[in-house]
Parts: sequence; C-alpha cells; structure tokens
Amino acid sequence: MMLIPCPWCGPRDAAEFAYLGEPAPRPDPTAASPEQWRGYLYLRHNVAGPGTERWYHRMGCRRHLLVERDTTTNEVRPHRSHVGDES
Amino acid sequence: MAMRLERQPDEVVDRDVTLTFTWNGRTYPAYAGDTIASALAACGVRIFSRSFKYHRPRGLLTASYLDPGCMVQVGDEPNVRGAHRLVEPGMRVRSQDTWPSLAVDVKAANQLVGRFLPAGFYYKTFMGPRRLWPAYERVLERFAHGGEIPDLSSYQRQDHRYDQRHVHPDVLVAGGGPAGMAAAVAAAAAGATVLLVEEEHALGGHLRWGGDDVRSALRELRGRVETAPGIEVLTDSVVLGRYDDNWVSVVQRGLPTVNERLVKARAKSLVVAPGLVERPYVFAGNDVPGVMLSTAVRRLVDLYAVKPGHRAVVLSANPDGDAATEALRRVGVDVAHVEDARRGGDIVRVHGRDRVRAVELGDGRRVDCDLVVTATGWTAPVSLLTMAGAVPAYDARAARFRADPAQLPDNVLATGGVVGDGSLDELVAHGEATGRVAARRAAAVGRRWRAASPTAHKQAGPLVEVADDAPPALPVDPHPELFRARTHGIVDFSEDVSSADLVTAVAEGYESAELAKRYTTATMGPVQGKLETVNVIAIIAEATRRTIEETGTTTWRPPYAPVTLGALAGPEREPVRRSPLQSWHDAHAATPLVAGAWIRPDHYGDPAGEVRAVREGVGLIDVTPIGKLDLHGPDVPRLLNLVYLNRWSKLAVGRVRYGVMCAEDGVVLDDGVTARLGESSYLMTTTSSGAATVWEWLERWLQTEHPDWRVHITPVTTAYASINVAGPRSRELVRRVVADVDLDPDAFPYMHVRTGTVAGVADCVLWRIGFTGELSYELHVPAGHGLHVWEALLAAGGDLGARAFGVEAQRILRLEKGHLIVGQDTDGLSRAGSAGLEGLVKLDKEDFAGRPELAWQDQQRDYPRLVGLRTTDPTVVPVEGSQVVADDGGIGGRVTSSRMSPTLDRSVVLAQLDASLAHAGSEVTIAMVDGTRVTAVVTAGLAQVDPEGERLHG
Amino acid sequence: MVERGRRTGPRPGRYSALSLLRHGVTGQAWPAAWRNHDMRRGYRVVIIGGGVHGLATAYYLARNHQITDVAVLDKGYLGGGGSGRNTAILRSNYLTPEGVRFYDRSLQLYRGLAADLNFNVMFSRKGHLTLAHSDASLRTMRWRAEVNKLSGVDSDVVGPADVKRLVPHIDTSDRPRYPILGALYHPPGGIIRHDAVVWGYARAADHLGAHLHQHTEVTGIDVSGGRVRGVRTTNGDVAADVVVNATAGWATLVADMAGVRLPVQTFPLQAAVTEPVKPFLRTVVVSGTLHVYVSQTARGELVFGASVDPFASYSTQGSLEFTEGLASHVLQLMPSLSSLRLLRQWAGLCDMTPDFAPIMGPTDVDGFLVDVGWGTYGFKAGPVSGEAMAECIATGRTPEIISSFGLDRFARGELLGEKGAAAVGH
Repeated sequence: MMLIPCPWCGPRDAAEFAYLGEPAPRPDPTAASPEQWRGYLYLRHNVAGPGTERWYHRMGCRRHLLVERDTTTNEVRPHRSHVGDES
Repeated sequence: MAMRLERQPDEVVDRDVTLTFTWNGRTYPAYAGDTIASALAACGVRIFSRSFKYHRPRGLLTASYLDPGCMVQVGDEPNVRGAHRLVEPGMRVRSQDTWPSLAVDVKAANQLVGRFLPAGFYYKTFMGPRRLWPAYERVLERFAHGGEIPDLSSYQRQDHRYDQRHVHPDVLVAGGGPAGMAAAVAAAAAGATVLLVEEEHALGGHLRWGGDDVRSALRELRGRVETAPGIEVLTDSVVLGRYDDNWVSVVQRGLPTVNERLVKARAKSLVVAPGLVERPYVFAGNDVPGVMLSTAVRRLVDLYAVKPGHRAVVLSANPDGDAATEALRRVGVDVAHVEDARRGGDIVRVHGRDRVRAVELGDGRRVDCDLVVTATGWTAPVSLLTMAGAVPAYDARAARFRADPAQLPDNVLATGGVVGDGSLDELVAHGEATGRVAARRAAAVGRRWRAASPTAHKQAGPLVEVADDAPPALPVDPHPELFRARTHGIVDFSEDVSSADLVTAVAEGYESAELAKRYTTATMGPVQGKLETVNVIAIIAEATRRTIEETGTTTWRPPYAPVTLGALAGPEREPVRRSPLQSWHDAHAATPLVAGAWIRPDHYGDPAGEVRAVREGVGLIDVTPIGKLDLHGPDVPRLLNLVYLNRWSKLAVGRVRYGVMCAEDGVVLDDGVTARLGESSYLMTTTSSGAATVWEWLERWLQTEHPDWRVHITPVTTAYASINVAGPRSRELVRRVVADVDLDPDAFPYMHVRTGTVAGVADCVLWRIGFTGELSYELHVPAGHGLHVWEALLAAGGDLGARAFGVEAQRILRLEKGHLIVGQDTDGLSRAGSAGLEGLVKLDKEDFAGRPELAWQDQQRDYPRLVGLRTTDPTVVPVEGSQVVADDGGIGGRVTSSRMSPTLDRSVVLAQLDASLAHAGSEVTIAMVDGTRVTAVVTAGLAQVDPEGERLHG
Repeated sequence: MVERGRRTGPRPGRYSALSLLRHGVTGQAWPAAWRNHDMRRGYRVVIIGGGVHGLATAYYLARNHQITDVAVLDKGYLGGGGSGRNTAILRSNYLTPEGVRFYDRSLQLYRGLAADLNFNVMFSRKGHLTLAHSDASLRTMRWRAEVNKLSGVDSDVVGPADVKRLVPHIDTSDRPRYPILGALYHPPGGIIRHDAVVWGYARAADHLGAHLHQHTEVTGIDVSGGRVRGVRTTNGDVAADVVVNATAGWATLVADMAGVRLPVQTFPLQAAVTEPVKPFLRTVVVSGTLHVYVSQTARGELVFGASVDPFASYSTQGSLEFTEGLASHVLQLMPSLSSLRLLRQWAGLCDMTPDFAPIMGPTDVDGFLVDVGWGTYGFKAGPVSGEAMAECIATGRTPEIISSFGLDRFARGELLGEKGAAAVGH
C-alpha cells in the first residue's frame, strides 16, 4: 500500500491510517437549511485527480492530517496546512 | 532412465543421490535435483497431461515453470508445475483431468467434434429448455481443468504451513540473470542492502545453459554475488507485484519448513531484470508431444542431461535456435533438418497425434522426426514495469513489446533482456550501471524519508554517494516477426484456444483485443498470458488488418506468478481479546460467546436461573469489554455537550449521567454513562463494540473542529476489569468488600460515582447505575487484580446466593427493563426519536452532533418508533427479526428484541413500528417464522419490569 | 429521424444447436454479433456507458417501446467497466421490501434472458449462502428472511449442519476465530457469465436497431434552458432529446458535465480468481463478517470478491492487502484450500451512495436521466434497470419499481435502509 506522509511519524504505510476523505466544511448547525446540511452530509466533489483529503493515523500518533492525493494514481503529497487550520 | 545422457558439464542433478517417486501409481527413479518432468522424461515419458477442451495429449513445451502441458497433482496439492517442482523421495504424482487414464482419455473424443465447438460455442446453444441447463452444466463442469483440493476431513494442517516475512532492502532486484546479478553486486558495492530474487532454482538465467563460452563468466558473477556484503539471495522465488511506493511482494518456494512464504518488501529502489520468455510458434500440430521451444531443449540437455528426442527438425530464427541445434548434435540427437526462418524457412504442420512423427516444411517437404524445436522469438515479461506505470510499445524491428524506461518512476529501473539485447559484457555493464543508479536513488529515498520524520532519530546517511551515471543504452537486435505459420494452431496451450478461434471471434465482432480474449478465454489460464499474449495480439491484428501497435497490449495484472492462498494468508493471526476473568469463566463451564473482538461468557448453563438470582438476590457479570475513556481537561464539559444529545455543563463531581450520541445525520451512534471523578477528570463508558468508534469520534471533533479545546483522551478499556454487581442484595455484598466508601443510599445514591478500595485493591471506581434495572454497582478494578476481586466477591456473597451471570441473562434483564441496545433496537436509519430518546434531545443547546437533523425530526410525526409489545398469548416469543404486518399486508415494522421473561413468566418484546401503528394500546399482527400470525398490543412504555424504577433507586 | 418498429423477417445468424451443427458442417462463418455504424448527427436517445445497464436500456427501449433511434456510447470496449469486472453473483434476498421487489424482477429477467436474447448467458442457479458468525448477523438474516418471505422470495435461515451439507469443505466446527452460527440460504441465487450478458444485450439491441459506438468518449454534455440538447464526443457532436448517464466509476464526472451533482464517491472493488480445480463448491458462499464471497465457475476457477477498498480512488490497480485478507478469510472458512493458487486479481470502480441504494430516474436537467450509484451490486440489477429506465424514457414517468431510488431523497434526508445488510452485499 502507498505511504502517507504523517507530519509527526514520517512516511508510513497507508494501512496504519483511516481514510476520512474530502473535508467538508460544517455549516452553522443553528442556521443551516436542509439542503446545506445534507450537502455537507452527502455531497463530495469526488475529484478524479489531485485533491485534499483528511486521514487519521489510527495505528500511530492518532492525529488527523491533511494530504494531497491524486485519486487516479494514488500519488500522495503532504499538504501545506495542518488539520484545524485549513483555511 | 533410457533418455538420460552421460554427465553434462552444467548439469544440476546429483547422480550420487537416487530417489524414487510414483507417477500415476508406477514407481520411477530420479536424481536429486531432477524436476518431476525431467525425471519422467529421462525415463521416456512424453505425455504429461491432456488439454482442456479437446483432451489432446500434451508433452513438454518450455520445460520450465510456465510449461502448460505439465500441470500435475502431487499428493493433495493440485496444479503443481511438474517441469519446475523438484522430485522429493516418495512423492506421489498423478496426472490431472484424465479419465480413465492418461493414455486412453475418453474425452479426447472432443477432438473429433472440434469443428462443432468453435470459440464461444457454448454461448450459441444449450439455451432451452431452461430446465435442461443444469444437466448441460454438469457436463461442462466435467471439463473443468485442474487438480483436486483435499477434503476437509483428510486435510492435515501440519502438512500445510505458510508464513510471511517483512524486509526493507535498499534495492530489490527482480531476476538473477547476468544483468540482475551485476546490478545486485554494483548496488551492494555502493553500500546498499540488496535482495536478489530469482525464479529458478539457481542464479544465472540463460547463462546456465550457455555452454563453454559463458561458464567462467557465470562462475565469476555468482562468486561476486556470494562475496558481496549485504546481498541476500532468494532462489525459487518470484516477485509477484509492485504496488504504490515500491511495496513489493515476493513468493518464496521450495523451503524446507514451510510450503510457501510471502515476503513483503518496502524497497527503496526496484530493479526489474526478468530476462526474456521464449515465445511458441503457431502452426498446425504445434501442441503435439515432441514440439518444444529451443530453451526447453537446452534446459533438458544442459541442466538435466535428458535427451529430448532422437531425430529433430529445428526452426530457428535466432542464435539461441542455432545453439539448441548445436546442443542436440553434441549429445547425439540426429538433427534431420534445420529450417532457417531468417532466410524465409518455415514449418507448417506436424504429423502425429500422441507424438511427433513428421513435420511438413514451408516448401511442402515432409521430414520424419520425433522432435520439432522452434526458436521464433521472445516476449519481454514487462508486467512489473506496467504495474509501475509503463506502457509497453511494440517494436517491430525486435518483434517484441518493450517498455520505455523513461516512463518509469524514479524508484523503478530495468535492466537485461527486458530492456534490450547485447553481448554478455554489455548486459553486465548495463546491470552494473543500473545497480549503481538504484543504490544512489535508494539513498536519496532514505534521506527523504528521514527528513520527513520529525520524530525519528536523525542519523547521517550511511550510504556511499556514487556518481549519477545513467545506464548506457542496450542495443536491440533485429528479429524476424514470427507469430503464426500459414496454418492454424494452438495459441493458448492452457485454454486450448487456437488461432482459428481468435479469427472467428474477430469475425463475430469481438474485435478489440480485450473482447477477443474474453470471448475465446485466451490468456485466462494458469500461464497468465506469459507465453501467448503477444501471439494473441499478433493474430488479432492480422484478423482485423490492423498493426500490432494499433491492436495494443493488454493490462498485466498481479500476481506475476500464481501464489498459494496459504502464503497470502500467512500464519493464522486473528487476535482475541480476553478479559482477565475469562479463565474463571472457562473453568466454570461458561458457554463462550464470540462478541466482536472479545470472547465473553454467554451463560453458565441456566440463563433463566441467572436472571432470577439477579432479581431476587445478587449476581455478578464481567463487563470488562465495555469501552472506557479517560477524559481530562477543562474543556471536557464542552466536548460532552457537543457529542451527547443531553446537557452536561452542570454535572457535579461524583455524579454519573446517561448519554446518547448521534452522528451528524441524527442516527444513533452509541450510548453509555459518563462520570465526573474530579474537577477536570471524567470517565466515559461506551458500548463494547463502539469503543474504538467513539474514541475516534471524539478525537475527530477535537482535532478538526475544536483544536483549541483542552481535552486529553486516554483509552482505558483494558486497564480495568469491570464487574457489575446487581440485585437487591448487591449493596450488602459490596459492603463486605469495600471499607473506604460510604455505601449508604443517601451518601452514595443512584447515578453517582465513588473511588475506593475493593477487596484490598486501591484505585477502583464504583458506579451506581443499573442496566439490569436492579440496584447495582459497577466496579472498575485495575485489570491485574480483576480476578482477585471477582473471586473475593463470590466468596463474600456465598450466603447471599451470589452467582455469576452471563451476557444472555443480562440481555433478558435489560429487555424486561426496556433498555435499548444500540444497533439491535436501532438500525442504520434510526434517529434519536426512533429510539425513544426524544426526551434526551436538548434542542435548546446551540450545537451538538446531529442537531439540525434531530430538530427537523422533532417537527415531523411520521418517523418509526421503538415500542414495547405484549403478545396476546404470553407464551409466544416472536423471533427477533420477525415482521409486523400492517392492515394493508405491507410491512409495518419488526421485532428487534424478544425473550421469555423469567421474572414475568411471559414474553417481553421490543419492536420498531411505523408511526401509524405505534400507539399505546393498539393491536398489531406479527408474522411468525413458521408462517402463522399472532397479535400483540403496544405497551405504554418500554419497561415491563419495575417501570417506575423503584428497584434502581433503592 | 426516429426509427420505429421491430425489424421483420428471418433473423440472420440465429444461435441454436442446429445452427451450430450446420455451421460446423458447412464451415460457414457466423455473422458479426453487432455492427459498426457511422455516428449520426443526432439520436432520440443517447446512452452513455456500454455496460449491462446501458445496453439493457437500449434493448428494452427497442423491444418494449419500439424506440430504436438510440445510440450507446462507451469510451472503451463493451462491458469493459463494472460489467466485466464483477463477480457475476445474482440474488434477490435484499433487506428492504423495495430492494427485494426490484432485485427479484431482475432475477426473473435473468432467468429468461438466454431464451429472450438467443444467447446463452449460462445462468447457474447454484443457491446462495450468506454465513452468520455472530448473533447480530443471525438476527439481521432473520430480518432479511422474513422480509423476503413476505415478498414471496425463497430465502431462509439455516443452521450449521445445513451449511455443512451444502458445502462440505466449510469448517463448521467451533475451531475458527469466528465460528459459523448459521446462514441465510437463498436457493434461487447463483452466478452467470457476465460477459455473455453484455454481449447478448449488445447483439439483441443491435439487431433491433440501436447503434453501439465503442471507443467513443463523451467529453461534454450540452444543456441549455434547463434541458439537455446533446453530447460532445471524441467522434463528434451528437444531438439528443434524452441523455442517460449509465456509467459506473465515472458517474459523477459525467453528471458534472450536465451540471448535476451526485452524492456519490468512487471506490475500487477488488476481485481475484484462482487456478481451476475440479468442481467442489456448488453454492455461492458469502461471509459479511469475513468480508469475502466466493463461487466456483464451470471452468473450475474460484472467483473471490470482498468489500470496497478503504479509500476512494479511480485507480484500478490491485492491492496486496486485499489478497492477503481475502486468503486469510477464505482459509478460515475452507482450510483445505491452502495450496490452491491465486492466479489473477483486478479491480473495478464502484460508485457508492450514502445509503447503498442506487440513484435512478430524472434530474433537475430535463432529458438528462441517471442510472448510477450502483455500489457493488450493479450487475445484479442490469436487466430490471434497463427495463425500468426504458420505461422511464419512453413514458416520461418514473416507474413505480424505481420510485424510491430518486436523486431527491438525499436532499429530503429520506435515505433507504439497505446499508446495514449490503456492507458486503453479494
């Protein structure tokens, strides 16, 4: 399996991680319309090519991290930002 | 051994060690080092199997692992490659698929009707009547081609051992021919650790049968490999696949202690050096025993000292064909004729059925012979390169597909025949240069990995820097394009697919290579296309009047060589989680229950008695698998408020609260109780199966949405043994083993928590909660002392009738009390309202997981409800999963939980019902599994025992 | 121009035992199963995706609704996507009543398909066993069995002894890590030759007048005024009244061209096949707990599948981890297969929806219909999907049998309940 560049543990086998997919910004839970909320729940861009995604180092440091992966080749690169400060 | 030659200079058999084995019941001799096929061939055996479709006799073609005509059954192992597997003493070898015998095979009658069985014939007939198809099917099944797997009853586990190994070489070299060996040596000299993997039983590749000219070069290369530091050699091993980031799998065979081993390597560089595979030639009768490839002849003569025949005709298009001719002459085979394909020579037909009797040449001449040797070209086994992203292109000048090294990622290189031709010196030089580059790139990868590991120990790269010398180009020799003579013959020997079949497929519209292959099944057999793919493409190109380049190549899929399920599985490795009390349960005749990762006691023989003990006296259950998370930090209440439906800001120290979590779609995720042990210290429990999910769920909120919150989570599920003491006399029992906690109901009321010493064990956590509906204490004891506390409780409670109860009794108790189990009484669509949890949902909280969905659900009235049911006949227990039938005959819900209640002496039932049916007092119909219908009434609440909760609070 | 009506007259190249014999004697060549046509400037219906769904839609449009001005476009060869990469298992014992009814219709069409298409698709009614290794899965199986029974589908819970009788090679002792507690047995289930289904539909659709355009990739979809106008392809622009997205793996990319967003994520699903051995496995065996399903083909190979890969991807590269997990699980079920060799692995792309049910019918763009989101169970649904989509196109109304599969259910938050049972739903 491919290597995921964990910012804490270095490149590690993807089997150690849980895939959490394309980050979807959470709408304001008090103001979101059903359409917005269900977009957050169900709609993803499903890009064919490079995209940002979130992984969780389940069998390692237990940190969430961002990577850039090309979904057509599985080529992975570290993402420039950390989880929590994507914006 | 009538066909055994005198001692040959390069032979691999040990004439000092004679073995015997059986073939179809008859005993044969062999020398150590013989393959099954070489030993049999030395004794004059020429037929080893029958072909798939027409049951034509088949002999040796390649005399290698790939030989399609030499698949045999060895003991209980099917599909053994007889031309590769070494003879072992006493081996029992049988031919496969023959009835009644190899010599007389009834199904060979298919040859006579072959003209009625064109490619895809089965798609065109047997269509009706439909009821007859199963009968046709049984007939077709008889043709299934392969050996037999053993019955479970006769299968001996100890005879089938497999294992796995992880390796981390700097450079992995796939192929131990001259270029591969040179690459390994050069990489090692540059400081790299090297794994050199060779498919054959020894290193050397084609040098092994290269004769006098290369003998000393081979000896020298082998010597350099042997003395080089840091090279590990695996022979009889094949690289199976190259996956992302050079994750490489290797199968290692022929080991003394295990049948096969899967070696998994994260190689910093991969050097692909598989050499070339000789390609068969397509002409009429090309599968008659006695037709073989030039490399087969040289293997038989040089390695095994076996005379391949008496009188030979050779079709040669290259120096290897010429060398085979020389080898035959040298050992006294009468070479009746050499047809030189470079000067337009050809052979068009073999005469003979079970052996070659004569061959018809391109000019019509007929030459009597018993051996036909072809040397018509090579296939580059590019599959590892294609797995790395290369797209091989057809090179008409060389008459083979070649991969462009420029298409490869930096960490994959290629050398040897798969790249080009050249003299031995050129191959070695190319290998060395490639090995040096591989070592340099491996060093760079290593530095990159270290640089990307902030927490790893930093160390200077030990690898020697070498110059960036890109490998020199290898020349590519011209070779005539020879795929098929003007007659039709077999293309895929495993599948019995002929060139005529391919032409038919194209004519019927299956024009693209993939469709024609699928229609005819060409390349689908155990040889995996290694011998036949290029011929298949060439014939499709010819039939479609396209070029080979336009027809293209096909996808090579892993594994490169067949690998046993045993090796892929490796040793059994399914861990089981056992509570520290499990040994006690085992010793007390507990019926084990496989509960996800855990083994738990289902009951101790009498679940109803266990229930009564809890209702009337006191019982103990091992609840260690309950998930436990230690939460620390000032922001824990904010986290709890976010993940639970209810409110947590005001939970006082020493208090416990029940909570339910929903996912963002409002669907119930998990439930449990959480206690506040100290100012900023909390202990959360989850369901057993939800422990990991909830931990990740909390981390997700903390790390992605609220990284500023100060909360630290430590999973402590297995740090504690957890014991629930339940029943009206539980306080009495607990009091006997706890000294430092005031158990008085006013001092330690329901839904409170204390820490204290239990049976002399300090730092225990005591909760007053009650899943069973009884007065109960849940004790979390440091795991190492769990068994001691358990036994102390039982000893102390002897006169109170204390006894252990299992999971089944607990299920009954909670059902009597109407407590739901997430995942059983709810499903993947149950939002909180459908689990009877409306009261817990605090919509006045600004935010919590799933809030919008639950707010919208709150505005609806038509969602399914969880209800209690009382069957009209109290003795009826509808099986869990039984359906509730609505008046219109449609499905109106289902029974989620049901048991006979020992306490009430009647059935207790929970059900999910459509809103229209879920009114207290309304009658519903349940369809029983036996087809009968029973009625039941919806109860007012979920609890059937002690609905007011007096027993809990006592 | 709209062609209507079935072609009349004797059908050339009809397949039968007799014709096989005649061709054998005379050496006469068979006509092509389908023809190559020049692309027209427009078709009434353009179907994107030449797999079983697209081809079945074209076939039923012609057969049931006499609409033959139809083009089926595929960027590769016919059946090169999910139709040629699945494990060819058929069953109808789903969990929800709407699922059961839908797949039962599909199975019914599959049973008559060989005669219907004059192409032997080799449906083998082997029976289908879903093993239960925990009381929770046994409970779900009972639930499924009861729903099936009420819907008239033959499916029931059986005990370990029945499992042993049906598949003697299965270890039903308590030795395995996850012992077998029972199974859901579904006698009408089985396997079929998946390529033959594709070819049979292609041949029949071609015969009735549909045009099949292989190696024709759709590069754009023209939408104006809220309705579809046509498609742009690597073989030129084509006008169309109706465009159907019948792709798998690329469903979101195609829908994006029409400006329609789908709640779909694409995951690879891997499969593998062993070398052939003598027949010993007469039943399709599935274990959800062990993430494996297995059947033996008439050729003797074992065909294996598992659950989808753990991360979304458009790569169809096989993974080593899949084969390791698969082998380990297969040997837990059938230990004596240890020396059997895996021959080939491959992957297909699965468009997963949030509720493991498909998305079928109209979209917000008039004339742009979808038949997508098939997850791991699209092949089973080929015939009924083709039949229903054809009706949807011909009548302009969504047939009742697919009414619960509409795209709008997600925005309404009304998901279907197949997910629990379909996690490894084969």
